[in-house]
Amino acid sequence: MKICQVEGTLVATARIGALENRRLLVVKERGSSGKQVAVDPVGCKPGDWVIAVGSSAARDAAGSKDYPSDLTIVGIIDYWDDSTGKAGVGTHANSSRSA
Amino acid sequence: MQIHRVVRELVTTKRNFWLAAKSLRIVEDHRGNLEVALDPIGCKPGDYVVTIGVSAARIAAGNPKITTDLTIGGIIDHWDEERWRT
Repeated sequence: MKICQVEGTLVATARIGALENRRLLVVKERGSSGKQVAVDPVGCKPGDWVIAVGSSAARDAAGSKDYPSDLTIVGIIDYWDDSTGKAGVGTHANSSRSA
Repeated sequence: MQIHRVVRELVTTKRNFWLAAKSLRIVEDHRGNLEVALDPIGCKPGDYVVTIGVSAARIAAGNPKITTDLTIGGIIDHWDEERWRT
């Protein structure tokens, strides 16, 4: 699983039918510069640190084996200190957003 | 899934049986690396698209027997070069 930060929603009106009307998010993987797109069955906000699964597990995580996703968000991390890269020791991962 | 830009169409007349008659596009990523993606939608050059990789690409192609590892899943409504590169 990958640790990613949510950047924002992605609107794609013309899409294949199999993608249905699921929410797509632009996410940035921790420690990499490139952006990726993930399916969001959880309901994340921009700035959230999340865990995402790839490859064929992403299809199951999106709800069905026939769903064409290669990156699906499976959880929002409660506490994340990005400077140390450790969970559970920093401030609340989303405190800067809610403050 | 990744964000790519469509560069142009790709024609291959002599092809693997399981590629069927699916149309192909050359797409580039934010670094300019070129890849070939299967296009079930009908994209134009310059369109920013979401591409689906690994085994999900075969499902996105409409038939899991289609031999692809990159399929275009949708055209992005609003996207610009600056947002793409940074």
